[in-house]
Amino acid sequence: MQKSTIQFLLINCLLAIIMVSCGSVTKNYTPKKLDKTSYEVPYFKDSKTDYVYKTNITVYGHDLTGIFIAKKINDTTHRVVFTTEFGNKLLDFEISEKSFKVNSIVSELDRKILVNTLRDDFRLLLKKEYQIQEQFENESDDIYKSAYGKRDNYLFISKKDRKLEKVINSSKTKEKITLLFNSENDIFAEKIEIIHQNIKLKIELNYFKSE
Amino acid sequence: MKTKIALLILFISGNLFAQEQKMTAAEIASFKEDVNVVSKKIKTLSTDFVQYKHLDFLSKDIETSGKMIFKEPNLLQWQYKKPYNYSIVFKNGKILINDEGKKSAVDIGNSKIFSRINKLIIGSVSGNMFDDKEFTISYFKSKGQNVAKFIPKDATLKKYIKQIELTFDKEEATVEQVKLLESSEDYTRIVLKNKVINAKIDDSVFTN
Repeated sequence: MQKSTIQFLLINCLLAIIMVSCGSVTKNYTPKKLDKTSYEVPYFKDSKTDYVYKTNITVYGHDLTGIFIAKKINDTTHRVVFTTEFGNKLLDFEISEKSFKVNSIVSELDRKILVNTLRDDFRLLLKKEYQIQEQFENESDDIYKSAYGKRDNYLFISKKDRKLEKVINSSKTKEKITLLFNSENDIFAEKIEIIHQNIKLKIELNYFKSE
Repeated sequence: MKTKIALLILFISGNLFAQEQKMTAAEIASFKEDVNVVSKKIKTLSTDFVQYKHLDFLSKDIETSGKMIFKEPNLLQWQYKKPYNYSIVFKNGKILINDEGKKSAVDIGNSKIFSRINKLIIGSVSGNMFDDKEFTISYFKSKGQNVAKFIPKDATLKKYIKQIELTFDKEEATVEQVKLLESSEDYTRIVLKNKVINAKIDDSVFTN
């Protein structure tokens, strides 16, 4: 009898844990009336700016460092290049919301799963505009929900200075990718982190001014 | 009209020649000898460098700078100081990296490209590289400078580097610029300045 009670409690606890972790991303946020229907991201939109970042990629405990370069080459497309500190080009992509072209990639990185992951990450990072369907808030941020294929993106705009601080890319039940932005002036982000929740991948970008 | 065209051609080709001219066999021999004599005397070398990464689609070259230190026979440190601290040491078949205080080590066996660049840089100050069988080498001269161009023979290396150009100061016969061409549009240009030859450099410098 006692044994089955313990089992019952264990199962209950387990269920409770599963329920909590499966809860919707928005469960802690208060719904709010929509105050806009679209949001334009300021961070990679200027076609005259070379966006150059010192980069650290941590993937399953391995570190890869180098220089991340992004440049808007036309209305829809960004060129994205990743080089070593010495300047050797490791990959060279052209990315828009709908198109993707690999100009070059070194054979060590030429794995379909990696290329697709980086493509999706960079596409999200460089996305210029979000259509908004729902709005929420918490203490510090206004939160905008935007449909993104099978997933949703949640944009966190700080109430204090109206800056885009975070994007959460989520399935219906689970957060998949988090983008964190640190921006002084709301024109570009000095520090960006791309963190994956389901695989051990983190990309950290630190802006540097070439002299 | 014909004269005009002839003059124009003369003018253009004259200009080209003024910039860069192929060396004769005798000049090549004498240039190699000069570099060999100087490099045999080099026990240590330290120099500041500025690296310009040129990508055709960017509005400006990406500029980084720092210091390079070499000690015979094969200790080498590349240290970027601006705009970030990143230092890389080649030592005993290993690459030691210090990235803003974060340290790591790579076996050169896994990083062929680095070991080749290392060999090349060291070769260019020690004078051994003209005998390097891995490259097809051609020689050019211009005012005050000699240029040696290396085209890799190896297919793997070729994927990374289309051509390496070493520019030598004519008087000193030492390298003053290294240019690594990835394609016709994209290259890395490293300018060496404030060279100091044979200053005393302790082995402990080459730790990271």
